[in-house]
This record gives sequence, C-alpha cells and structure tokens, in this order.
Amino acid sequence: MHLHDLLNIFQGVTSLFDSSWPILLGRITLMLLGMVLVYLGKKGILEPLLMIPMGIGMSAVNAGVLFLDPVTAAAVTEAPVATGVATHGTLMMAPLVQKTDNLMYILQIDFLQPIYTFAFSNGLIACLVFMGIGVLLDVGFVLARPFLSMFLALCAELGTVATFPIAVAMGLNYREAASIAMVGGADGPMVLFTSLTLAKELFVPITVVAYLYLGLTYGGYPYLIRALVPAKLRGLKMPPHPIVKVTSDEKLAFAVVGCTVLCLLFPSAAPLFLSLFVGVAVREAGLSYFVAFIDGPVLYGATMFLGLLLGVLCEASTILNPKVLILLVLGILALLLSGIGGIIGGYLAYFFSGRKINPVIGIAGVSCVPSTAKVAQKEVSKVTADSIILPEALGANISGVITTAILTGIYVTIIPLLK
Amino acid sequence: MKTAIVSAFVMFGVAIVISMAVAALIKVLFLVVRRLNQEGK
Repeated sequence: MHLHDLLNIFQGVTSLFDSSWPILLGRITLMLLGMVLVYLGKKGILEPLLMIPMGIGMSAVNAGVLFLDPVTAAAVTEAPVATGVATHGTLMMAPLVQKTDNLMYILQIDFLQPIYTFAFSNGLIACLVFMGIGVLLDVGFVLARPFLSMFLALCAELGTVATFPIAVAMGLNYREAASIAMVGGADGPMVLFTSLTLAKELFVPITVVAYLYLGLTYGGYPYLIRALVPAKLRGLKMPPHPIVKVTSDEKLAFAVVGCTVLCLLFPSAAPLFLSLFVGVAVREAGLSYFVAFIDGPVLYGATMFLGLLLGVLCEASTILNPKVLILLVLGILALLLSGIGGIIGGYLAYFFSGRKINPVIGIAGVSCVPSTAKVAQKEVSKVTADSIILPEALGANISGVITTAILTGIYVTIIPLLK
Repeated sequence: MKTAIVSAFVMFGVAIVISMAVAALIKVLFLVVRRLNQEGK
C-alpha cells in the first residue's frame, strides 16, 4: 500500500491540507465554533433547541469534506463532466446547485439534500416554525389593548428600518441590506424568508447571524433595560386594568379577517401570514388534535431540522464571504436599535398615559416570542416583586410578530422595485 | 444612499399606517363580534 492510498482513506484530513489557507483556517475555526455552540446550548446561554443540532452539524460538515468523483464534482460545480473538475465537497448537501439535472443527481447522493430542496429553500420550514408559533400565541392580549400593543411593536422596529440605509452605506445592495435589516425584527423565520426571497446568495450567513444573535437577546437585553431605565421607573406598578375577557370566537374572527386582509395587501408574504394565522385559528377553534400535532411534531421537528440544516450550511467554502464581517456588525446593530426603539416607545407610553405605564414593557415589542416579554417581567420583578406587566408585555410581543410580518411583506414587495 | 433613507422612511410610514389599520380592525371586529354574540343570546 502506497502513502497515497493511505491518505485517500482519511480524505477529511487530506482535503483539509489540500485547501487554501483561508479555507483551512475557516474549517478548523468552524469545527471548534460548532463545539462551542453545543456547549453554550447545553449550558442554556444560547437556545439549546436550535444550537445543539446546529453546532454538531457545523462541526461535522467542516470535518467531513472529501474529494468528489468527477461526475459528482461536475454536478456540484455545475460544470460539464468533460472539463474534469476536481473539487472538495461533502455527502450532506450542495446548496448552490440550481440546474434541474444536477439537482436530481445530487438528490440521490447527499442525504440532507431532499430536506433542503423540498423544505428549506422554498421557505416551508420557516412557515412550519411560524405555524407552531401561531398555535402558541394567545391573541387575546393584543385584542385587549390593540393600539398600545401595536404602537410599542412599531417603535421596536427601529432596528429593522434604520439598519437598511446603514447597510447600504456600508456597501450592501438594497436586497442584501433589507435582508440583514430584518434581523432587527428578531424573528428567525422572517429573516430566513426575506433573505431567501431577496438575497439568496447571502441567505446562509444572514440566517446564521440572525439565529446566533437571537439566542443572545435573552442574555443581552436585561443589560440594555438596566442601562436605559432607572430602577425607580423599572419598579413602577401599573394601576390594575379592568380585565377584558376575549372569547375564542372573537380571536378566531380576528385570525380569519386579519389573515385575509394582510394576504390581500402583501401577496408575496402570504405564506407567512397564512402559516401564522392558521396556527391561531386552529388553537381558537379548539381543534385539540391539530394543536397537539402542530405544537409538537411540526414545531419541534421543523426547529430540529432548521438547526441541523443551518449548521450543515456553515461549510467553510459556502460561508466564507467577504461580507460576513459586515453582516455580523449590522446584525447586532439591528437588534440593539430595535431594543432601544422599544424602550423609547415604552417611555412615550409612560408619558402619554400620565406616568401609569411601566416603560420596560417597550422592550417586549421586539418580537422574540415570548423571550422579550419574559425578560421585561423578570427585570421589573427584580425591583418590585409584585409588579405585574406580563399581560401588556405579551400584547406588545405578539403585536411585534404581526408588525415584523407586515414589514417583511413591505420589504419583499417594495425592495425589488428600487433601482 | 439618499434613495435608501427615503425608502426606509416610506416603508416605515406604510408599516405605521397598516399596523394602525390592523389595530383599528381588531377593535372594530371585537365590538362587532361581541354585539353579534349578545344579540344571539
């Protein structure tokens, strides 16, 4: 046996040293980063449901690179077989393949390609997660105080709006800028949907950046609240508000009419609206078998495969893009601005209500359901244990999902028209 | 850049109008369904 044959057995190692320096360093870094994500997920610092499959996928895909045979290499690179292109690749997924013949071939080779092609690249997986979110939402909190909830949610879209021109100033085109700005909406499925629709070539880094940062909101926003709202105001007890009892008939009517009107206004975001409101409708119609199905297998199955596919998409040669550093800066900026905007909204509500509304509820307008509402309540309870803001915070939180969906509709409709 | 800033303002303006229209729709629906429910009883 020659040394060459021996090296061929361990193609993961030989392909590593056969790569250019940036790819070699990128692969090693991403393998280690994957392990760190699993660790942070297990410790509860980042969202474990997403980070554990994502981390292990990221490590495995960067380790399991091999030398593709000429036919597979030609399908992956979309070059004619006759050119004899030799390339590195994996047996997991080839996200950049476009031509139907090549795609049909790859579907029979790469084990995650069917899920990617039939559930990820068309946005189905994002819609399934959204359906699960719909089932978990109690729109009664919005129906009780719709104008306050929507106002706070709009203020918390500051990052989504302000990051767009900043991203353009930093050199991104309109489509890429809009996609990364959506991180300010703090809603993973909508970032995925927008970037798939507007900037398919950058959707991998944008979505990965979004999910990494969304995991940090739970840890980072409490510091923002403490920095911007003094303890005296944080502990403000809101006067007891008469409890508005909202029946399931009223919630169901809202889901049906709201969905129809929003689909009429923004057909390009109709899959998202339908997914969200079908979840709400199923819940309010009392279809317990459907609720159990969407709430369990659909939501958790979609979340697991979303995490795994995002991890596997983080292969060094796919993700190493000169724009990644800009995306990292813009992603955190978008979330920071949205948090600040939410608190400004909270202050405005505080002053306009005659100093009765606790300004901390503003941060719950950032639509990371239910994390930001829980963060707001936790920070208030630390100062005044018996101050309850959760119902109002959940109203703003759920409205945040609706306003982010509206902005998604506006972005995917208007941005392609900009020259 | 100027186009981006103007577009951001326009898109946010559209978002404000639609979100507040949705809030108004919620309020109206709420009242209509409640009235219908009371008439049915």
